[in-house]
Amino acid sequence: MALRILSSPPPEPEELAERLRAAIEQALPGASASVVARGAGHFELDVVSEAFAGLSRVKQQQLVYAAIAPLLSGDAAPVHAIDRMVTRTP
Amino acid sequence: MSNLPADLKDRIESLIASDRVVLFMKGNRQGPQCGFSAQVVQILDRLVPDYTTIDVLSDPPLREGIKVFSSWPTIPQLYVAGELVGGCDIVKELVSTGEIFETLGLERPSAQPPEIRISDAAAAELQRLAGTAGGRELHLMIDARLQPGLYFGPAEDGELRVTANGVALSLDPVSASRANGVSIDVRPGASGPAFHVDVPGAPQVRQLGAKETRALLDAGEPLVLVDVRTPEEWARARIAGARLLDDALRAELEALPRDTQIVFHCHHGGRSQRAAEHFLALGFRNVANLAGGIDAWSQEVDPSVPRY
Repeated sequence: MALRILSSPPPEPEELAERLRAAIEQALPGASASVVARGAGHFELDVVSEAFAGLSRVKQQQLVYAAIAPLLSGDAAPVHAIDRMVTRTP
Repeated sequence: MSNLPADLKDRIESLIASDRVVLFMKGNRQGPQCGFSAQVVQILDRLVPDYTTIDVLSDPPLREGIKVFSSWPTIPQLYVAGELVGGCDIVKELVSTGEIFETLGLERPSAQPPEIRISDAAAAELQRLAGTAGGRELHLMIDARLQPGLYFGPAEDGELRVTANGVALSLDPVSASRANGVSIDVRPGASGPAFHVDVPGAPQVRQLGAKETRALLDAGEPLVLVDVRTPEEWARARIAGARLLDDALRAELEALPRDTQIVFHCHHGGRSQRAAEHFLALGFRNVANLAGGIDAWSQEVDPSVPRY
């Protein structure tokens, strides 16, 4: 029987929020993101970026989801859900 | 996240191209397995007669693959004409702003109050029920397949109110646009009186006599003859060529093209009428009932089939 050994404790919500923010701002140059942790892997995002100009809401959100996909994929994903996402242009 | 295997990507693209409106969801149109999927199905049922649902729960690679393909982390996902519209939140927002009509390529319904007729008997019964409804309003809903629903519930934003034969009815604008000429009556049913809502243009169950049914079969007309009786009745007497309705046949029928001709029969024609109406509600347009059932068949077509 295989036991999964946790080499480190699960990341703190604040640390995850920071990783989300960094991933978004890196993928969307000039963007600024504020990330609020809402407990147990749930987060709210507010993202401002020029890259959203002229795009539908679904396309704007797709850009953000693409940027944070590595944190959201797989059964052991540290981020379970984005409860709310606001996308805006400056 | 671009590590989507080429064959899975091709499969997703062909699923999206398989219909104008495609919903990736948990469960299917008849049985949604999650509240968000169910909400989108309910919205689409009101607006679109025929659309395709893809159940991601029965297909784990697709369940993960569609998230990567769409850059969208949740299910359901609605695609229209090859484009991702969004998930439950965005679809609900499009409904509340009215943009959903444009998204789906539909005309916005006009706000004309419809002309509705209610028979005296139906009006009396509805008034009686309204007295016990605790202030909730009577709503008439007509879905995209012109299937009606009557229910008591709280008032909703944007509804139209009409009064017919002294009865107040609330309709959402989409239902109202389909309700002109509707008539509501009470008719005796197998389990007591039942409301009947006739919607103009709605597909009806055709009534076929035993001889007519025989003629269709003899002419080699493509049809499925479905026996909705119990296995005990089936063991006692059966029509050659009929198939007994069980879970397997039901699943087979539900997957057929919606213009397939299906003729239902039972002992005298009551149960089969209800089965036929159920299949109309699923979107089948060429549905018939063998009037008089297998009993009429024994008397008019084939005396070798025992009567019971």
